[in-house]
Amino acid sequence: MTERIGEQAGQEIPDTVAIPADATVAPATAAEIRGRRQWPLPKLAVPDAPLLEVRDLKTYFKLRDGWVKAVDGVSFGLADGEALGLAGESACGKTTTALSLMQLLPSNGRIRGGSVELFGIDLVPKSEVAMQRYRWREISMVFQGAMNALNPVIRVRDQIAEPLRYRLGQPEATSTARAVELLDMVGIPRRRSGAYPHELSGGMRQRAMIAMALACDPAIVIGDEPTTALDVMVQAQILELLERLRRELGLSLILITHDLSVLAETCDRVLVMYAGRVAEEGPVSRVFTAPRHPYTRKLVGSFPDLRGDRRQLAVIPGQPPDLLTPPPGCRFAPRCEFAMPVCTEVVPPEVRFSDGVRVACHLFPTSDVETVSTGASAPASAAPAAPA
Amino acid sequence: MSELLRIEGLQVHFPIRRALTDVIRGVGPLAVRAVDGIDMTIQKGEVLALVGESGSGKTTTGRVIVKLTRQTAGRITFDGQDVSNLWGTGRLRSYRKRVQLIFQDPYETLDPKQTIHDFVAEPLEVNGIGANAAERETMITKSLEDAGLRPASRFAFRYPHELSGGQRQRVVIAGALAVGPELVVADEPVSMLDVSIRTELLKLMLDLREVRNLTYLFITHDLSIAWVIADRIAVMYLGKIMEIGPANKVISVPRHPYTAALVSVAPSPEPPAPGERAKRTILVGETPDAAAIPKGCRFNTRCPLVFDRCRVEEPPLIDVGDGQSAACWLAERATSAGGISDMLPNAKRRLEPAAAGPASPAAQQLASPAD
Repeated sequence: MTERIGEQAGQEIPDTVAIPADATVAPATAAEIRGRRQWPLPKLAVPDAPLLEVRDLKTYFKLRDGWVKAVDGVSFGLADGEALGLAGESACGKTTTALSLMQLLPSNGRIRGGSVELFGIDLVPKSEVAMQRYRWREISMVFQGAMNALNPVIRVRDQIAEPLRYRLGQPEATSTARAVELLDMVGIPRRRSGAYPHELSGGMRQRAMIAMALACDPAIVIGDEPTTALDVMVQAQILELLERLRRELGLSLILITHDLSVLAETCDRVLVMYAGRVAEEGPVSRVFTAPRHPYTRKLVGSFPDLRGDRRQLAVIPGQPPDLLTPPPGCRFAPRCEFAMPVCTEVVPPEVRFSDGVRVACHLFPTSDVETVSTGASAPASAAPAAPA
Repeated sequence: MSELLRIEGLQVHFPIRRALTDVIRGVGPLAVRAVDGIDMTIQKGEVLALVGESGSGKTTTGRVIVKLTRQTAGRITFDGQDVSNLWGTGRLRSYRKRVQLIFQDPYETLDPKQTIHDFVAEPLEVNGIGANAAERETMITKSLEDAGLRPASRFAFRYPHELSGGQRQRVVIAGALAVGPELVVADEPVSMLDVSIRTELLKLMLDLREVRNLTYLFITHDLSIAWVIADRIAVMYLGKIMEIGPANKVISVPRHPYTAALVSVAPSPEPPAPGERAKRTILVGETPDAAAIPKGCRFNTRCPLVFDRCRVEEPPLIDVGDGQSAACWLAERATSAGGISDMLPNAKRRLEPAAAGPASPAAQQLASPAD
């Protein structure tokens, strides 16, 4: 009996693929990645503009009692072929940030300020019709909970073909063939492509969601907790798949998760958010090994690590603030062990270090280092100049 | 330490409805074998973590222990008494006072129309604990404060929606503690919570073990949480225990390839060093259906070290010393410093030019120094 159970059930998943040791290093330059695009850049695109530049984004939700400041002045950039992780606890604004990029906010959500520039085109003022040119074709998203995100009464293949038909106007035969090809690429064999969602396991459905996000060959794929509901082994398979796709297709990824360890394995840079603002941003290797913001320190310290110290976990006392009436000054101040009088009064400016990390905390006086107002990706400089 | 709970040959099979044609032809699986022969003991005062992926039978095992699910076969002994068949007897109620369950989702465990006070008071009233109302009040206050809701008066008359997720799970813990149990079966108690809150609750549970002389069966899918809280870890796969032993042994010197694979993929907040990524062993495929468990060793379909014997004969739990046992024919041979991890052929490394072709276990051993 040599056959594997997985094969009996028709679940051929390709064997693990060789990944060169330097797989995390972006394999191609921006020009190469843009050269690989299936579609031309949008007409309005500025040729040398960065892929994505988010400046001072403010997204609020209207409630009966006022505006909830879910995202309040977030800036960051994303380069071609780069993987950026958005980390933070529940309700820190990670998903709202992503939905703002796609302009898929719930009806009571509004972008109240800032800009989202894709290839130099500001998407914030775009109308719903104009947005359709960009949504899914330039930025697509893998939603949380693959079980609920797929339509249960439509074959998986047809759901993936849908954006091709409607967004790109492809005829049915072409779009279906492409859908089958996409499913094959994410590890769902061709003969299973006609399955309905309930006939697939959780991991397979998540693969199908990834295939759908890739359908229109987008420049940016946002993964919103793409592995949260999955078993560890399946999670490892999905993360490996994302890594492979990123390398092969030159994708730029924004990965949203509360699980820092997932980001540590897959991303180049990480953006740690707290209560709607950026706490710390920088290369994964710097932020996780030498966190500077007190919140990042606690967050990193509260993760159990099989390779680290047992029962030495950090505790963050208290709870995140109510964003209807956020505290003035630093939003982490009420829970911070280093809080000073200034923290409760003045919003900490973002301070940039020479190793590419920026931190919004009063512990790091702006006189020491250059202050920045926008979150453009920094050149990676080798020498860390951290007072941490 | 003395033994608190002993489980012998526990089986839980859930019958499957078959189509009439299948019944006539005598084909198709008869049952989902959720738990398929488990033996284990829990010592007084210890934390035993039951780790497994979904469908491994870990929750069913917990539910059998608290008598919410009936076993198909097997014997459960609690504190020296046979408690396998308590249904319909007066002893069930007294048993349940001694064994309590904490569920995963504090949002669903609590009744939205019931105050915190009433939630904790209910088990006391139902079980007739406490001589009078005043005594019960003291017990309620004590339970709430032990669970970290201090002062209890500030929380007692709130409703669940007024509390955060972490506070709600504390209320659930207070409710479980109110009746003064000896064994607490905690089914994924922290998996719904944010990391920072998770740590607090794990610490609370460990503190309560000292204060209230508790013993825990901690059910989780997350090996790293098990490792933080447990004295011993049992790893389940498809209804059977694959490996059981002291937490540090199971994690650092696993003797079962499934445990070794789980350890290797356990994510770490530390970004991987340049060579580290290559050490992961990602299993191919998914856990087979519990209605069609593979012949021989149930892990043989996904095992990177499978050989002929595995496909015909199911290995028993083999004792490898220091209280560790593993259900693998290779368990006794995996004596190097990294346990069976050192024997795992690494799919990724195998394809790299340096180690092209199937490397011998010895070469693998040299290539991946033990941590």
